[in-house]
Amino acid sequence: MDRIPILKLGEALLVTIQVDMHDRLAMALEQDLTTRIVEHGAKGVLIDISALEIVDSFIGRTLANIAMIAKILDADTVVVGMRPAVAITLVELGLSLPGVRTALNAERGMAMIRNRIDDVDAIIQYENEGGL
Amino acid sequence: VIIRQQTEIAELSTPVVKLCQGVLALPLIGTLDSARTQVVMENLLDSIVRYEADIAIIDITGVPTVDTLVAQHLLKTVAAARLMGADCIISGIRPQIAQTMVHLGVELNVVSKANLSDAFALALRRLGKVVVSQRRAVPADPA
Repeated sequence: MDRIPILKLGEALLVTIQVDMHDRLAMALEQDLTTRIVEHGAKGVLIDISALEIVDSFIGRTLANIAMIAKILDADTVVVGMRPAVAITLVELGLSLPGVRTALNAERGMAMIRNRIDDVDAIIQYENEGGL
Repeated sequence: VIIRQQTEIAELSTPVVKLCQGVLALPLIGTLDSARTQVVMENLLDSIVRYEADIAIIDITGVPTVDTLVAQHLLKTVAAARLMGADCIISGIRPQIAQTMVHLGVELNVVSKANLSDAFALALRRLGKVVVSQRRAVPADPA
């Protein structure tokens, strides 16, 4: 069975979905991603769905699940490049993905993750210096 | 002919205006029904992609009545825009409309501003931009 590749970019993981998702692929992705987040100690997950044309409620829920799992494992999830038609479908299905952060394209999504990593670094540095 | 007129009116009635880099405005005029809000939503989402907008301002100054259905449509549009990575601000809610909405128990959990200029100011602030008045310095009196 084919799988969706997960690329490591510094402290972030990059997932680009290029093919139409079916349920088993989505579940495999959820599992792979969870393992990889723990393995690399990733702080951010970028999911690019700009090539995804069709979503159903299952895929929508899987995205929400991934975001929740990532949050438990201390990683931020940003979903980028959602198409207008997909956005409308998800809203009509009542899945507005409240826990998921979104960005218009991969560039902006990466900037969001990088900001967050920088913030965390700044706090750690602050605490190491004895705080105030 | 009537059908063509209807489609043309529908197209004309939902303009999306680019205010500046990253900010779109959507001035809505007239009564919103479900067919029209569908067109509005699609137009707005397409424009967000085309102009790479961060913030969209939905101005409902010209909307005479807001019932629960219209409010729901607005909320759907806002939710869809958020899914694509853009923020929405609703502006120009009239006093009567605000009253009816509260009486109907409609809750808009979105940022709303009294008028378009306030909304635009907020949008600029979020993007970290400022408007500077560029008045020419009056040349000093030689005397």
